[in-house]
Amino acid sequence: MTDVSKVYSNGSVALSDVSVNIAEGDFVFVVGPSGAGKSTFIKLIFREEWPTNGQIIVNGRNITELSLREVPFLRRGLGIVFQDYRLLPNKSVHENVAFAMEVIEAPRREIQKRVNHVLELVGLRDLARNLPSELSGGEQQRVAIARAIVNKPRVVIADEPTGNLDPDTSWEIMKIFEKINEDGTTLVMATHDKTVVDAMKRRVIAIEKGRIVRDEAIGVYGYEG
Amino acid sequence: MKVRTVEYFIREAIVSLKRNGLMSIASVSTVALSMLILGLFLVMVLNLNHMASVLESQVQISVYLQDNLSDREMREVGTKITKLPGVTMVTFVGKEEAMTRFKQRLGEQQGLLSALGDTNPLPNGFEVKVDKPEMVKPTAQAIAQFKGIETTKFGQEVVEHLFSLTKMVRWFGVLLILFLALAALFIISNTIRITVFARRKEIGIMKYVGATDWFIRWPFLIEGVILGLGGALIAVFLLAEAYGMLTSKVYESLAFLPLIPRSPFIANISGLLLVLGAMIGALGSTISLRRFMKV
Repeated sequence: MTDVSKVYSNGSVALSDVSVNIAEGDFVFVVGPSGAGKSTFIKLIFREEWPTNGQIIVNGRNITELSLREVPFLRRGLGIVFQDYRLLPNKSVHENVAFAMEVIEAPRREIQKRVNHVLELVGLRDLARNLPSELSGGEQQRVAIARAIVNKPRVVIADEPTGNLDPDTSWEIMKIFEKINEDGTTLVMATHDKTVVDAMKRRVIAIEKGRIVRDEAIGVYGYEG
Repeated sequence: MKVRTVEYFIREAIVSLKRNGLMSIASVSTVALSMLILGLFLVMVLNLNHMASVLESQVQISVYLQDNLSDREMREVGTKITKLPGVTMVTFVGKEEAMTRFKQRLGEQQGLLSALGDTNPLPNGFEVKVDKPEMVKPTAQAIAQFKGIETTKFGQEVVEHLFSLTKMVRWFGVLLILFLALAALFIISNTIRITVFARRKEIGIMKYVGATDWFIRWPFLIEGVILGLGGALIAVFLLAEAYGMLTSKVYESLAFLPLIPRSPFIANISGLLLVLGAMIGALGSTISLRRFMKV
């Protein structure tokens, strides 16, 4: 992961003149009130949104120059976790995670090995045969995390991953993220979960009205509520 | 592309075909109907064309001579006709011969001729055959220039009627087929649209984990092709059966009607229909995929 610097505006200016550098192995929180531009920030990294201006470099590639055909290959180097989990309801936990590898045509034996490994990592080995609907919210989010990391991405991006979870469960999720980060994976997490940010004592980038208002190496959430 | 991936594509296509069973059946039937009608028209047009050209090649020129010619003059005209390029046969038909034929043709109504008494108003003449159908008209015109010729006639009208009939059928057919092909396209693209819509979440996830557009597209494309091909297969089967029955009936009772033999004629048309069906299927799914692929 190299320097991510950007300058943009987006119709109703979601982000303007934002420059930021996230180094490989970093664990970064992106905080700010709703509508401040956190989600846009996240979406720009995996090219769901296109910047109006500026450059974004992810994993050493300038993704603003990426053609549509290359986007899938960018995303293979990223793991993405959403607030609403986005699991396939009619596939088992194991199948949901394996799906991410099938889609990139990984060899079957490797899929078996990796899926078992990441399910172990998130502590869901015993629930591998269950359907997502049989799991709690926290468990479902762990499945989503397993799916995000199964292809060994260098960067994991999480958009409000604890938004739908209670504090205890959120904390479990954060433990897993911490573990993933210790293995050398860069983590970028958008959140407005004050407790989580304050407890983790990690780098915090605060965005307000589309601008970076604060960037601290060991930061706190800094807002009330 | 790996074998396992292809397996996956086909499995996905079949699963979704089953999932929207009713729409699938509707699509297949629409394609079947359009392809059947297309096939019937093709068979009809090609057969009419065939008949017209068979008839045309059989057309002979009737040459009628003026009444005041001597035997020698008549023979001279005969020789001159024989020497024309493309002429293969010249037969003399005298007044008496012509009358006998006329009587035969009238059949039970021969009595009408008694009014003529002993006079025979029919002229002497020749029947001329040529080697190529397109030589009929120029030859007839050339003969008409000779001295002592009253008039020349050939089955021009019949052939021209047949050709204009073929033309009409062809135009009507083209319009109908175009309309039906569009209907089939519409139904297939709708079926695929329903599938894509039902699976838009899955498609989104596939895109987020880095599936290529083609990886996502293939199952839908295969689904469309199966729908199109399935419909075309039904049409081909029905058409082949129907034509087989028709030809055997015609050969039994109306042997003079020149139909195109069943094989390889039907096999060719079947091939065309199958290719067309598959193409309509692929096009239908491409149309509806276009809008949903942008995630």
